[in-house]
Amino acid sequence: MTSYLLVQALNGLVIGVIYALIAAGLTVIFSILKIVNFAHGEIYMMGGYFGYFVITLLDIPPLPAVLVAMALAFALSVLLERALLSPLYDPRTERKSDYGILVTFGISILLRNLAIIVFGPFPLRPPSFWPGTLVVGDLIMSWDRVFAAGAGIVILVVLLVFLARSAWGQALNAVSQSRESAAIVGINDRLAYTLAFALGGGLAGGAGALVGPIYALSPSMGLIPDTQAFAIVVLGGMGSVGGAIIAALLLGVSESLFVALFPDPTRGLSYAQAFSLVVLMAVLLIRPTGFFGRAHTAME
Amino acid sequence: MTDREDDFQPMPRARLSGLTRRDALVAAALSAALPAGLARAADAPKGAPIVLGWVGPLSPPGGYAEGILMKDGAQMAVDEVNAQGGVLGRPVQVVYADTRGQPAEGRAAAERLVQENKVVAVFGEFHSPVALAEMEVFHRYNIPFMACDVWSDEVTAKGYKEVFRNSTAVSLIDTIIGQWMAAVGFKNVAILVEKNDVGLASRVAMGEQLKAKNIPFTPVDADPNLTDFTAQLLRFKSATPPYDFFCTEFSETGTYDLIRQAKELGFALNAKCGMYNSGGSSVDPTFWQNVGPAGIGLCTENVGLPKSAWNDKTRAFATAFKKKYNADATGAVMESYDGAWLLFEAIRTAGSTEPAGIIHALETTKYVGTRGQYAFSTDKDPAWHYHQFMAAPLTIIQYTELKQPVDAAPILWPKALATVDYLYKPPA
Repeated sequence: MTSYLLVQALNGLVIGVIYALIAAGLTVIFSILKIVNFAHGEIYMMGGYFGYFVITLLDIPPLPAVLVAMALAFALSVLLERALLSPLYDPRTERKSDYGILVTFGISILLRNLAIIVFGPFPLRPPSFWPGTLVVGDLIMSWDRVFAAGAGIVILVVLLVFLARSAWGQALNAVSQSRESAAIVGINDRLAYTLAFALGGGLAGGAGALVGPIYALSPSMGLIPDTQAFAIVVLGGMGSVGGAIIAALLLGVSESLFVALFPDPTRGLSYAQAFSLVVLMAVLLIRPTGFFGRAHTAME
Repeated sequence: MTDREDDFQPMPRARLSGLTRRDALVAAALSAALPAGLARAADAPKGAPIVLGWVGPLSPPGGYAEGILMKDGAQMAVDEVNAQGGVLGRPVQVVYADTRGQPAEGRAAAERLVQENKVVAVFGEFHSPVALAEMEVFHRYNIPFMACDVWSDEVTAKGYKEVFRNSTAVSLIDTIIGQWMAAVGFKNVAILVEKNDVGLASRVAMGEQLKAKNIPFTPVDADPNLTDFTAQLLRFKSATPPYDFFCTEFSETGTYDLIRQAKELGFALNAKCGMYNSGGSSVDPTFWQNVGPAGIGLCTENVGLPKSAWNDKTRAFATAFKKKYNADATGAVMESYDGAWLLFEAIRTAGSTEPAGIIHALETTKYVGTRGQYAFSTDKDPAWHYHQFMAAPLTIIQYTELKQPVDAAPILWPKALATVDYLYKPPA
């Protein structure tokens, strides 16, 4: 039994890292732009396809392909932010949150349907990062999952270091706290918004490219992770990258253990997603701002 | 060619383009090959078009991959009939309505087709819950509806005179799968179904057959959008006594993940535990590209005629479809293509587009399509028999080689159509 639970927990942890990668990008965008990016799942999807085509058309090996996919998702996000989100920063715009929701929702529908036309409706699968399966005692896990988890952890650590130690990371933090104060000390807030949106997109794109060999790529692949990521961001605390990472890992492990231990074996899987929402509600009842959330989350 | 190149199968661009001169020539050649009864005057059709509606998922979150294939099949039928002079001397036009697999959008699309587009009949659909919502609209306005790839018994069990189904039904298909599992003699079966009315009904139908043979089974429901089944598969794998067969009714994009994950975790599709996937994804064009060697040994159903029973129309359509879309015509595609032709023929027989005439013509049709000769039951005992194509073709196949085409896979069941002398062969 102990071995069974350990295996389930480890699998949940790997899924949690992937959740964390998606959720971290979403929370970076929220913490700076103060909008919920409903197109995040579609950027994740685009990252998956970027990785696929970079590997299959340009014959670039899978690992560098993930970096290229991240760069392309970053560039796509810059384009989207510059083209469509500028009114968010205009003081004349009323109800900025509503504008953000509507625009990002529109982008998500646009990208999903463009993907059907450009990439086709059928699921695609890029080649494995590392073919085969890791077997250690009762633990069986595809090397692709091990690789995705390892690469995901590296990316998350780099993100945390960037946010905490680099000048641009500190600038983003300043803008997230007060746009006007940041501007007074010379921070280019407009550039910070672009960087935050693109950074979030790059993280989502990297996650999409990493899961390509694990889950099939399809135009609708962003729907479920997007929903999970929203729950994770709220659970971790809106705007807290560290909180999102912790919440993602907790959710991955707890969902896995829920399926493993739910007394009725015929119902565990179908209740697993509802369980994550129950966890979310329970946490919010005790801590309305999530694990590490701030009370003030509206754009100035 | 490297493995990587071998894996890469870009979608055919022809799918995105309109009708080309070459397509028109193919359609013309095809029409020449059709039986004389169908080949009408080749004069260009004149007058106001007869407008039909088509409903189905063409974008997420519905099963848009199958929906787009079905739309392609329907359009081929329309191109052919117009190349032959149309119906009653008038051109046929089809308005395609994207329902996104959502019942509310299906209902709205049905209203639009009837109220704005003034359709005289409708065909298509891939999702039973959506068809059930659409049917209410067609029933209210007395518009004939040919449901093409929806399996819920409720579709015909409602007893609406406007509703016909040319595909199989849960009670037909899952009873057959259950009978086959019982005949093979599996000892302990894990069942995973998508959590919707088809999945839930299928587990009941399969369960009845297994219960009758005292074969223990464990049914599990899964969200249709799920892509990670690891935790559940590990739970199945740890069960005592172990399962020796894993039967899944799952038709969404997660199907390929399910098959691969079951294999990677060492639970199913091996010598100890076989696997079945029902729902259509396992005969789709990119099946092998997605599952690779994990698909060898998988059992699934083919809802088209087995190749040995193909008629001239099946051969002509399969060839033309392959040429135009660079993809094999699946059973669902043929259902959509035949659905269109059933309506064309019904309108011709009725001599008008009046609903009563079309319905009567469908009730008495003997039309031979790509899936054999159609006849719709008019008995209501049990209720789902009403307007159901009772002889809908269905064979259980098992892939024995990597990249094996559906038509080349051995047929295991029913025995009368089997191409091998065994009921099931465990993978090596």
